[in-house]
Amino acid sequence: MDHQQAQDEFSDYVDGTLAQAARAELEQHLAVCIQCRTELAKFRQTLGSLGRLKQTAPPTLLTDVKQQIYRRSRGRFFAPRWKLFGRIPFEWISLATIIAMLVYYLAILHGSPTGVRPAP
Amino acid sequence: MSLAERLLIGRLRDRDPSAFEEIVRRYGDKVFNLVYRMLGNRHEAEDITQEVFITVFKTVDTFRGEAKFTTWLLRIAANQSKNRIKYLARRPTDSGDVEEAGGPAPGVAATPGPIAHGQIDGPDILLEAAELESLMQKAIASLDEEHRLLVILRDVEELSYQEIGEITGLPEGTIKSRLHRARMAIKEELDRNTK
Repeated sequence: MDHQQAQDEFSDYVDGTLAQAARAELEQHLAVCIQCRTELAKFRQTLGSLGRLKQTAPPTLLTDVKQQIYRRSRGRFFAPRWKLFGRIPFEWISLATIIAMLVYYLAILHGSPTGVRPAP
Repeated sequence: MSLAERLLIGRLRDRDPSAFEEIVRRYGDKVFNLVYRMLGNRHEAEDITQEVFITVFKTVDTFRGEAKFTTWLLRIAANQSKNRIKYLARRPTDSGDVEEAGGPAPGVAATPGPIAHGQIDGPDILLEAAELESLMQKAIASLDEEHRLLVILRDVEELSYQEIGEITGLPEGTIKSRLHRARMAIKEELDRNTK
């Protein structure tokens, strides 16, 4: 195993997902290679530093989002759904339209023509 | 998805303001951290975090509960961050809107960085921590957005490969190989900047 092959295994090794045989081979290499041991230590240090990168959201986040929603929806977003001019029930309107079209279609299909007599 | 999560989503669908507040309180830091690490700019991150939650509230009716709510939320955050990166890249360069990587914007108090131990440290330790965070942020920013996202999801947000797959739509093998390249690139970048 050379340095490149060893370092290609670092992620799987650190994540604990390296197969048993590959792990043993890498550990054998690490035991005799100070360069790869140093690189592995730096690699672990990098992951440790990444894991400590935490930023908290601004304390005004909740208020800011609420204001944006109220402003964009003109206060209707949190209005009760049954309220007049509250939230428009698009799903019910769509369903009613489809049913109306279906009824109309069936009426045309099965309705008997009136006032038209077949030619003799 | 847990029962508590289902009930919370149900209340959100009914436009319950307390559910809305609970969602922002519970996931605000997680979303902000992801977006901030993607963009490296606090002002932009604040805008995008707001947009993420607004999108969630607007589209919660389309959430079918096949994935965890956090996965769905972070997918929205990741997509909006990538869109903003593309938008900022297309925009004419304006040096005024890019802050020093890792540092807080003017007038914004520094939040706990890499040494958040719950105790007060000396100024030299704080400075060292701020410098390290700045270096880390620069190293993350040196990656393209796809590799950046993988490192943030795995090593900053500490998600599983399965969750990362659900967020990015990538197979596990691709995630692992790209993540390794990204980690090595960050290590090299840190090496270069600390010599």
